[in-house]
Amino acid sequence: MVVLVWTLAPVAWMVSLSFKGPTEWYAPNVIPMTPTIDNYISLFIPTNPVGGSFFFTSITEPITKPLINSLIAAGLGTIFAVLIGFLAAYGVSRYRAGGTFVIFFTLLTRMLPGATFVAPLMVFYASIGFIDTYAGLIMLYTAVTLTYAIWLMKGFIDEIPPEWEEAALLEGASPWTVLRKITIPLTKGGLVASALFIFILNWSEFLFALVISVTQVTTLPVQISKYVSAVGRMYGSMAALGLVATIPSLVLGYIIQKHLVTGFTFGRVR
Amino acid sequence: MPKLEVKNLRKLFGTFEAVKDVSFQVEEKETLCLLGPSGCGKTTTLRIIAGLEAPTSGEVFVDGVRVNDIPPQKRQIGLVFQDYAIFPHLSVFENIAYGLRVRKTPGAQLKTKVHDAASLIGVDRILDVPGKKLGLSEMQRVAIGRSIVLDPKLLLLDEPLSNIDAKARERMRAELGRLQKEIGIATVYVTHDQLEALTLADRIAVMRNGLIEQIGTTGNIYDNARTLFVARFIGSPTMNLIDCELTRSGKQVILKSEDLVVDITELAEAITGKVEGRELILGIRPEDISLNIKKTNPRAIEAEVQLVEPIGAKSIYHLMIGRIAVLAKDYPMPDVNVGSRVWSTFNADKLHVFDKKTEEAIL
Repeated sequence: MVVLVWTLAPVAWMVSLSFKGPTEWYAPNVIPMTPTIDNYISLFIPTNPVGGSFFFTSITEPITKPLINSLIAAGLGTIFAVLIGFLAAYGVSRYRAGGTFVIFFTLLTRMLPGATFVAPLMVFYASIGFIDTYAGLIMLYTAVTLTYAIWLMKGFIDEIPPEWEEAALLEGASPWTVLRKITIPLTKGGLVASALFIFILNWSEFLFALVISVTQVTTLPVQISKYVSAVGRMYGSMAALGLVATIPSLVLGYIIQKHLVTGFTFGRVR
Repeated sequence: MPKLEVKNLRKLFGTFEAVKDVSFQVEEKETLCLLGPSGCGKTTTLRIIAGLEAPTSGEVFVDGVRVNDIPPQKRQIGLVFQDYAIFPHLSVFENIAYGLRVRKTPGAQLKTKVHDAASLIGVDRILDVPGKKLGLSEMQRVAIGRSIVLDPKLLLLDEPLSNIDAKARERMRAELGRLQKEIGIATVYVTHDQLEALTLADRIAVMRNGLIEQIGTTGNIYDNARTLFVARFIGSPTMNLIDCELTRSGKQVILKSEDLVVDITELAEAITGKVEGRELILGIRPEDISLNIKKTNPRAIEAEVQLVEPIGAKSIYHLMIGRIAVLAKDYPMPDVNVGSRVWSTFNADKLHVFDKKTEEAIL
């Protein structure tokens, strides 16, 4: 119960905040006294400043573009990470590709905090013209989450006894058919769980997006940080966008929840 | 032409030599059993035949065709794995049909083939059950069905009964034997259980440390063990092995140990090589020792009963002949209890003599 309150309280506060007018933003009441949907409207029609002319906002564009940007960057980044990661994990798990060395050093990308290499990365990206492009963001997201993809999926593939694949092989299936008809269906739960995990990572990524794609390919987390006016932060709009931003993850999680259960409980048949 | 021929197979895993030099043949409809303790290279040999491992050197011929460079999916060999490897996400029908689907067999033909195989192995009533819900004996049958539905040239079985508890194993062993007879294709069977080998195989190859120690018909292996290892490995309870020496006095030839003297004059001619003064081991199977309360045979040896294990039609007697512990298997004798003295007679035709140094049989 305590844990529940602990984890849900911020969410509840965010919901409450998103329905409050500017005068109530700093008030302690949970139920808004004068509920308003202005905050949500402001996300889509930024020309209508919340709280009248008192708040001059720097936001000029609606959230539709950042939303699409986020979907593209996080979505494609996830798809690439999962595809490449699965094949890499399969090679490592079945054929010990690269020995123990390579698989261990894929962890390197996670050993340094992103902040340490974001500056050189920006210089590098600038020199090859990748700043503010989809390709730049997608490539970065793929590279950064690939480690997770490999390690997570290696675990799931390790759980599949190689006999199942060998049996299919002896039945006359080619190695690609085995992968398609036996390995992937059997690891499906794990793959989907890994994909969701990676999607959420990419979706909520802030630092890289802020540094390398701040004007054109703005993503949602960056957009949230932009709701700042001359006199202070626009908490209502931020809360509203924060809630809107959780929707894709929730929807995705809901669609695949059946697979998630098998993904988390998957094990040997006996 | 043999159905399967294996020539000078050798397999290294790093520096470990799993298979050293293995050669054998399997004829049409024959079942050959590779028998040996774990780590003797029997499963590796089987996996090389199936194409799942590449041999370091040596050749494999199926139907006279060299298959070394043919990938496993094109060898037409059926393999039943130790834990059966039934695809858990497919139904029994789809499991059996898998290979046919891969081969793009037309629907109607596929159905008849699967149903034929299913009724042969007795799973025609559970075709819709998913693989993960099968019991062990069903899995075994489906695994066999999945292999035979493709009309393989060869069937390989890798310890198919080792995961099963003793009671079910007996039943499944019998069932496996029946299926084998009905299917009638050349089979290589890998096991570490000598009883399985004796009951299911036509011929047995006893393996040890990557080599075939002895190969022959089941009867031959049982009666004429060529080495001490084979003698120890086959048979339950295990053969009695007694350190002894051979001495001649006049025409009489006797095997003598501390507390035991066995006259083998009639057998002396069959002994190969010069054996006087060498350390020998006398071997006799428990069932080749007969017991009697009175001394009815002049050669009978007196023994003291230490323990009687009634195991049904026959009992196992733990005897002490002087300081030598010997097992005998004979009919139950109501008057014989712990501490009784009995007269034991060794069946001279069934004696084995091994050289202690070379471990090879000399009789």
